[in-house]
Amino acid sequence: MPDPADPEAVIEFMQVNDPLEPTNRQIFAVNRGIDATVLKPIAETYRDMVPATARTGLSNFLNNLRTPVILLNNILQGELDHSMATISRFLVNSTVGIFGLADVAAELGMPAQPEDFGQTLAVWGVPSGPFLMLPLFGPSNPRDTVGLVVDMLTDPLNLWSTNTDRTELALSRAFVNTIDQRTANLELLNEVEKSSLDFYAAIRSLYRQRRTHEISNGLIQDQVDANLTAGFPDSPDINVNELSRRE
Amino acid sequence: MINRFGLVGALIGFIAFSGLSFSARAAEIEEGSRQFIQAVADQAIKSLTAKDTAKAARVTQFRILFNEKFAVKSIGKFVLGRHWNKASEAEKEEYLGLFEDLMVISYVDRFKSYAGEALSLKDARQENETTVTVFSEIKRPGGAKPIRVNWRVGTNGTIYKILDVVVEGTSMSSTLRSDFGSIVRQKNGEVAGLIEELKKKTTLLKADSQ
Repeated sequence: MPDPADPEAVIEFMQVNDPLEPTNRQIFAVNRGIDATVLKPIAETYRDMVPATARTGLSNFLNNLRTPVILLNNILQGELDHSMATISRFLVNSTVGIFGLADVAAELGMPAQPEDFGQTLAVWGVPSGPFLMLPLFGPSNPRDTVGLVVDMLTDPLNLWSTNTDRTELALSRAFVNTIDQRTANLELLNEVEKSSLDFYAAIRSLYRQRRTHEISNGLIQDQVDANLTAGFPDSPDINVNELSRRE
Repeated sequence: MINRFGLVGALIGFIAFSGLSFSARAAEIEEGSRQFIQAVADQAIKSLTAKDTAKAARVTQFRILFNEKFAVKSIGKFVLGRHWNKASEAEKEEYLGLFEDLMVISYVDRFKSYAGEALSLKDARQENETTVTVFSEIKRPGGAKPIRVNWRVGTNGTIYKILDVVVEGTSMSSTLRSDFGSIVRQKNGEVAGLIEELKKKTTLLKADSQ
């Protein structure tokens, strides 16, 4: 807990919003171990062995399978336009795009707009709650954890495979999804791990920013942090050629 | 009466004119920012992607580009947040130098992929009096979905500098601020503690890139 006499420290504590930080860090350490020994090597092998076009095809196929969950959440968020776009995307990509392997719809000006129940809860005004590091699933919060469970329970393919004794099908899909995601983030996570002083804090920040971006369907990223532009252009570095400073 | 109408008319004229000149300035600095980012990309392609360039040479090239094109001090100050005011002048100086080192060594390759041949600039939008966002996309191999990169440019109309790079909604400056803020908290709010960690990190990265 911060010193209550230091209002700035209190504000910072509220913004960080991670009261379980010590536990979260322990779980993060375990997750990193699993990642380093299992997930990352598989993702790297997959990236090196399979051509980019084939990997994109699989990503598109997996995204197309998510259509029912996306549509459900379009409807729950009251987004009629997005619901129609999701249906159009599915029809175009499943036929012209050959079982969803090619994202033809995106080329026709209907880009993917992924939705999930965590985003729906946010649209409904449910607060995210504190930061959580879930075992295996990684960064989250109570709102997104509920979302994760609801997404799994409302996915028709998951329901069908578990109800007809084909649980291995649902599990295989989850596994392939995980590898697909891990491969997509290989470079970014490598860079962040390399350049950050506190990898955990960087991941916490990146997760929150990404979720805010997804919830607003990409609109929030356009807000400018006033603190960043406040000192500009009065900041001395605009007028001083600093080239010689450190060479 | 005539006088009064004249005054109101002049006032309306003035308001209309200042509105007009404001939007003209907006268009001007929006276009200026686009051209600035294009120039940065051209320079990056020229100096960072030559095949035979060794890592050390690329780092030197990127250091020049980073200092020329980024508002290094503004970003460094923002990243340190409320701790900036607590730091002594000597600490600020040392911190900014190490911050520059960290950025230059660890971002040289990432920057190359953002500002390389795959960059395609979209439109630009004025955010406030001194800030413009330039929108862009990075094309990816294999027909994968392009990555959206927004360049936050600070300008006074003549000088342009990058304040932030926002990749798919994640801001480089904000992430650094959380990262560094966490370290300062762990060091009991001492900027000196952050400087120690920065030293360790940059030494490690320098050894790696040899």
